[in-house]
Amino acid sequence: MREKNYKLLFAGRVFLGLVFVCSGFIKLMEPIENFRGAMTAYDVIPSVVIPVLAQVIPWAEFVFGFFLVAGYLPRISAGVLAGLSWSFVLLILITKTMTGSLPKDCGCFGEGSFLHLKPLQVVFLDVFNTLIGIKLALTKNHPFSLASILK
Amino acid sequence: MKINVLSFLTGLLIVVLLVAGVMFLKSRKVAPVKQLPVTAVAGLHRAFPKVIGPESAPVKLIEYSDFECPSCRIAQGTIAQVFRDYPGKIQLTYRHFPLTSHRWSIYAHQAAECMQIQGKFWPYQDKLYEKQPEWAASKVPPVEMFGRYAREQGADMNLFTACMGDVAVTRGIYAEKEEGARNQINATPTFFLGGERFVGPREMREKGVNAIRRALGLPEFPVVPEPAVPQAKESLPPAKK
Repeated sequence: MREKNYKLLFAGRVFLGLVFVCSGFIKLMEPIENFRGAMTAYDVIPSVVIPVLAQVIPWAEFVFGFFLVAGYLPRISAGVLAGLSWSFVLLILITKTMTGSLPKDCGCFGEGSFLHLKPLQVVFLDVFNTLIGIKLALTKNHPFSLASILK
Repeated sequence: MKINVLSFLTGLLIVVLLVAGVMFLKSRKVAPVKQLPVTAVAGLHRAFPKVIGPESAPVKLIEYSDFECPSCRIAQGTIAQVFRDYPGKIQLTYRHFPLTSHRWSIYAHQAAECMQIQGKFWPYQDKLYEKQPEWAASKVPPVEMFGRYAREQGADMNLFTACMGDVAVTRGIYAEKEEGARNQINATPTFFLGGERFVGPREMREKGVNAIRRALGLPEFPVVPEPAVPQAKESLPPAKK
């Protein structure tokens, strides 16, 4: 892809990366119980996996979000973030279908942050993020990235 | 597979820097924790020990249970029975284990913990079990029902309401649950008597009661009589401080 055509995709890359950097960082700064509590509001997540997910997800979001912004392993990072985004979409849809209700706050950006999204707002954001992530994962060359420097 | 050493080292360096940065910032507590209305006990709250029965009791039972779990309600019959049959010999410690699959459970545990702060946990837990079919069937979070039960128990409603929104109390509940998870608990109710574990009302009735009798130096029952499902009047004895 020529650099000229990449500008829009670059904006998408930075946007997607920053969304996850913020989301992961805020969760990492908060007590882990906050995120656990947010996850328990989704009744479909088995309680046995919640402690593990509460440890892993914030780090994955933060590290891969940073990787994507910096352009380190951009295709893998974009793929991981697209997977995470899509899993959040599925989580919300499955919870709504099975229980008929959704938590008031999605819990995506921690509990104490300024950013509180309703689950349906998150569905739109995450569908958008998934599409950007897939497009980035399918793009072979990523200019303005660490990957292009380290080649 | 060819590995680009420079690329690998760069990635490693980034990860190390990111982890170190987060750890450093976290250790300095730069970001605030969840801001919610707080009670007088907030910030310091750990779920209070919920103990009934004398400290000198030779049998010390620990119960992990969930207020929305029907089996836990049924097990209350056995517990009430052993308190009646062996007065002064049993001490019971209650520990929260709200199951994720029970959607109103955490609200019930929060309410019970808020009543514990006011010294009214045990009658309130009886009420929660007694009214379980009512509140568990609710379509919306049954916070009003919990408030009504608390009022009936003579709770200070200002304190109760503030406490119901207090995340520190919720954390205390989850901390207890986590402790249970570390003890490999995956079903409720689970009882511990010394090193023995009894899972579910049936096992508690069939094996737990005999384990209690063994601990008291009494002969075991060949068949343990089945207690009735508890009603309000058949609840645990009054709490002693």
